[in-house]
Amino acid sequence: MRIKEEASRLLDSEYMVPAIFIILSYFAWQFSGLTGSFVFNQVVTRFIRDGILVLSLIIPVVAGMGLNFAITVGAMAIQTALLIVIAYQVEGIKGILLAIIIGVLLSLVLGYVIGRILNRVKGKEMITTIIIGFLFNSIYQLIFLVGFGTFIPVANKEIILTRGIGVRNTVDLGMYRNTIDKLGLFKIGELEIPLFMIIIVLLFAAIIFYILHTRFGQEVKAVGSNMQTSEILGINTDMIRIKVMILSTILAAFGQLAYLQNIGMFDVYTAHMNADIISCAALLAGGASIKKARIRHALMGIFLFHTLFIVSPQAGQNLFNNAALGEYFRSFVAYGTIALALIINIKNENKFS
Amino acid sequence: MKNYRLKPPQIIISAFLILLIGLSYILHMDLVVLLNESMVKLVMNGVLVLSLIPMLNVGAGMNFGLPVGIIGGLIGMCLAVNYRMTGFYGFFMAILFTLMICTLLGWIYGLILNRVKGREEIAGIFIGFSFIPLMNYFWTLAPFQNREMLYPIGGQGLRPKISLENYFNHILDNYGLISIGNIEIPVGLIAVFAIICLFLYLYFRTKIGRATIAVGENEAFAKLSGINISQTRLIAIIISTIIAGFGICIYAQSYGFIQLYDEPLSMAFPAVSAILIGGSTGKKTFIFEAILGTYLLQSMYLLSVPIANEILVPELTEILRTFITYGIILYALLVRERRGIYS
Amino acid sequence: MENILEIVNLNKSYNGIPALSNINLSVKAGEIHGIVGANGSGKTTLMNILFGNPIIHETGGYQGQISFRGNRVNFKNCAEAIRQGIGMVHQEFALIPDMTVGENIKLGRENTHSLTDRLFGRKYSFIDRKQDYENAGQTLRRLGISVGVGIKIMNLSVNIRQFIEIAREIDRSDLKLLILDEPTAVLNKNDGLKLIEILKDMSNHKIGIIFISHRLEEVQYVCDKVSVLRDGKLVSQYAKGNIYVNNLAQDMIGHTINKAAAEKREMENKPVITFKDFSVKMPGEEVKNLNLSVYKGEILGLTSLSGHGKLALGYGMMDMYPVGGEVYYENKKLVKMNARTNILKGMYVLPDDRQGLGILADQSLESNIIFTGNQIKNMFIRDSAFNFLGFIDHHKTNFHVHKMMLDLDIKCTSIKQKVKELSGGNQQKVCIARALTVDPKLLFVAEPTRGIDISAKEKILNMLIEINRSRNTTIIIASSELDELKRVCDRIAVMVEGKIFKILSPEIL
Repeated sequence: MRIKEEASRLLDSEYMVPAIFIILSYFAWQFSGLTGSFVFNQVVTRFIRDGILVLSLIIPVVAGMGLNFAITVGAMAIQTALLIVIAYQVEGIKGILLAIIIGVLLSLVLGYVIGRILNRVKGKEMITTIIIGFLFNSIYQLIFLVGFGTFIPVANKEIILTRGIGVRNTVDLGMYRNTIDKLGLFKIGELEIPLFMIIIVLLFAAIIFYILHTRFGQEVKAVGSNMQTSEILGINTDMIRIKVMILSTILAAFGQLAYLQNIGMFDVYTAHMNADIISCAALLAGGASIKKARIRHALMGIFLFHTLFIVSPQAGQNLFNNAALGEYFRSFVAYGTIALALIINIKNENKFS
Repeated sequence: MKNYRLKPPQIIISAFLILLIGLSYILHMDLVVLLNESMVKLVMNGVLVLSLIPMLNVGAGMNFGLPVGIIGGLIGMCLAVNYRMTGFYGFFMAILFTLMICTLLGWIYGLILNRVKGREEIAGIFIGFSFIPLMNYFWTLAPFQNREMLYPIGGQGLRPKISLENYFNHILDNYGLISIGNIEIPVGLIAVFAIICLFLYLYFRTKIGRATIAVGENEAFAKLSGINISQTRLIAIIISTIIAGFGICIYAQSYGFIQLYDEPLSMAFPAVSAILIGGSTGKKTFIFEAILGTYLLQSMYLLSVPIANEILVPELTEILRTFITYGIILYALLVRERRGIYS
Repeated sequence: MENILEIVNLNKSYNGIPALSNINLSVKAGEIHGIVGANGSGKTTLMNILFGNPIIHETGGYQGQISFRGNRVNFKNCAEAIRQGIGMVHQEFALIPDMTVGENIKLGRENTHSLTDRLFGRKYSFIDRKQDYENAGQTLRRLGISVGVGIKIMNLSVNIRQFIEIAREIDRSDLKLLILDEPTAVLNKNDGLKLIEILKDMSNHKIGIIFISHRLEEVQYVCDKVSVLRDGKLVSQYAKGNIYVNNLAQDMIGHTINKAAAEKREMENKPVITFKDFSVKMPGEEVKNLNLSVYKGEILGLTSLSGHGKLALGYGMMDMYPVGGEVYYENKKLVKMNARTNILKGMYVLPDDRQGLGILADQSLESNIIFTGNQIKNMFIRDSAFNFLGFIDHHKTNFHVHKMMLDLDIKCTSIKQKVKELSGGNQQKVCIARALTVDPKLLFVAEPTRGIDISAKEKILNMLIEINRSRNTTIIIASSELDELKRVCDRIAVMVEGKIFKILSPEIL
């Protein structure tokens, strides 16, 4: 009995999952034969690419709403904004700023809607956000694959498919490529460090830190701890939850913007897919759970998760002569981490209920 | 059945269906062919939908972990094909293998779900999602011998789509086929479906079946009455998994191919959506709700393809399908909670 | 001195059942006003209305007028009440366990940096944690409590938490009226006195205080005025100098005309079940170190204040909550608590939460009544080759259920009617029918007449007496209705804080 208790305590510790990731990453890296500097550069790229997206997950967890799989909605919002801006051929900095404004406004509205929906399904937020994500994806496709060219007139014919209806699969971001690109990049030997973008990610981290240390932040934490108690303490729990979703969606929009400008290509229909799974897995890899998430979990998690992610295909190739096996490993790690987080955490909940 | 009220999802889908039928009539489409297809498709998809019932009744929610049972069935079929078992014998052996494998998988799945009471649905999604890449290793590395199943020289592992043409393709579809004019009724297939329905019906009238329903309705009551909750849930989950395994076998023999790798990823949602359209509320569900929902949803799928091809953009069908599928599930989540059950 | 709180003609019902009728009450600034009443007398409803608990609004609101500081008010949520200067110390503390003492005390009123105040407004301004902890520390010192402000609530004991709950309200500079719900329930004598001194101090600072308590001596000691509630009505009010514990107790209980009564008799001292240092960890109703012997064939009453354990005994026997200690049943020690084996041994529990645990609301009368008998004792099984599957023999069930319907006078349209459509009294009869079907030797009943109208109550009590006399079933009745227990039981055991305090004969009470 004692041994079981000790083992439980160890498994439940915040550092178990990161530890597993470190060990797995190390071995996979050794098998992959990739150089340390290559891996490092790749991971840093992922950091600036996915950083804000992962950060956008933190506040909903603190509010007790679990993992927000609906960040894809925020991603789609900014993509919508970009497509509008590109369709009307607004170039350069003007274009990006306009896209940001439209994206934020759209995220605000959508975040509000998501918040209202989640207030109706208290206790089942996570599954609802997954379904919301899928649903909005359909709507998004409906608008851009069917609507553009039919109901919605488009001036910029370059982005439309040859048949006249629907946006192309990949849209060129050339008009904006030289605005933020490679700002403040500097090298230390073989290691590339895009300082400017790293600072941007840390800036967003700072914003989240700030928000969580305001009166509003305390209310969020209270709601996350116990909704009924918060209600009798005079906190408007429903409103807090809505605001949290609005925040998360807006942050996700920024996150996706960072992602797109880093990748350089805009895959209209697939860029936002799996953004939620990868981001959630990264957050969990850093030691977060569905009830507790801190900024350091997000920042650390990206490094841990993406290291494993990057070296797996090559490791698979070297070990089994089959890169696909490495790919399967990636999927397994991503989904499996989330599955594990759900199973372990819920077991703890049941213990106290 | 008395006091049964039509619920909004049924009304919406039925209305949509009538619209589509009207359209297809106008477009002079061959409704007879569609009718024939719809009967086969009903059973093809229906068994998977029926598999959701035991878990819904025991209170384990909508089984988004359907891939677990499906994979059990896929393994069963692959074994049968690997040992070159053909015809009825082959199909029967596939079912037998499926039964054994799904019992084991269902048992493990059930043990996990018993630890996550209250969040079975979200846990189920990710258990299913993570099991699939795990199985991808199996499809790639397991020592299957039948050349027809494997990638051609240079590749490793099973093909993603294995043809059942030499094995038990359409074995049930064609059994006892009765033709009335142009209409073909697959009696054998429908009989199999009816047997499964009968099994479920009788199951819930046995002592264990009634305990299952009690657990789903009021777990505390059942506990106080001396029922072993964990065991009852476990049995229901195993049965669900087994029926899901059977479901994919029936599906595959109709479709003509065993589909591996990432194919099971998207199979849970249409099944759940179907049962919700049929009137299920995510709690105790009747057999006819499964049948009705399957028929409505797949008829909609069936009709929408040719119509969309005629009128609009071909991708529209797929998009509309997914939109309706997820829309129904979201609606069910919203309505279910509003019933004042903050469980 | 004018009234800071005036309640005029307050009425509130839940689903047609009145919880408060015609309440007229006022509190002056600086007055300590006590409110006493038995469980179910309407105290909680009154407090919920005053503090704006959303449940009031969700269940149809209330009728009548409430004025605070001269203005008509109608709070839709607690935030509105708090904004007006009303504070509440809740019986189940409103503390966030993951947060620290300091955070809880300052929740909603945190100190913030002036720069960010000006930039973003107070709500989104950066918190000055240091200042917060200083303030909180000062408040705690005022209360004479020494506890670190950085400690998380979940690591603190219950009586310290009570003081933190109070500290939160005292820290407020805008507090005008403080409502305290059973603030001394978890405190020992000394801490209780400390609290009372704090209240007196607040009273001197012109803060109105509403003090709810079951400890009548405290009420007598500290209150300027006391209102007694019974069955939702205000039955009496007394001013300081005229407050007597006996009067209060009598007013609380009142007199009712009763019919059910069991004659007094001599019991053989043969124990059917004995508890030794028995404990049940039921949240909110813990049993600790219970020592009790129950004699075969007796009706034993078990009573306590709510939260002191009487309800937990039966649940513990059915493995609903973790138990400790030893239980001897029919002279054999019970090794493990398992619902199934205990039911087979002859034990049965009729739960107090009838709607929650006692019935399958959506199923028929028939299904409910035969359920336990069928599942556990394999009764009503159709004889066939498939015995093990357990299909029901409807002839057998029909016969049995109709007999039950007649014997217990269950009013329904048919045995197939859904139990949720029956009245509370008939639902209880269904529960009893289910119990009788398994013919138990030892029956645990909790709150048998709760939520049942007056006439049905007597019938249920008579039924229990009848079961005991005709089948020699030992019955343990856990109830807060002392009056009913007096009439029905052979002995009454009083529990305090999870232990047996005293066993009394009904005549003494």
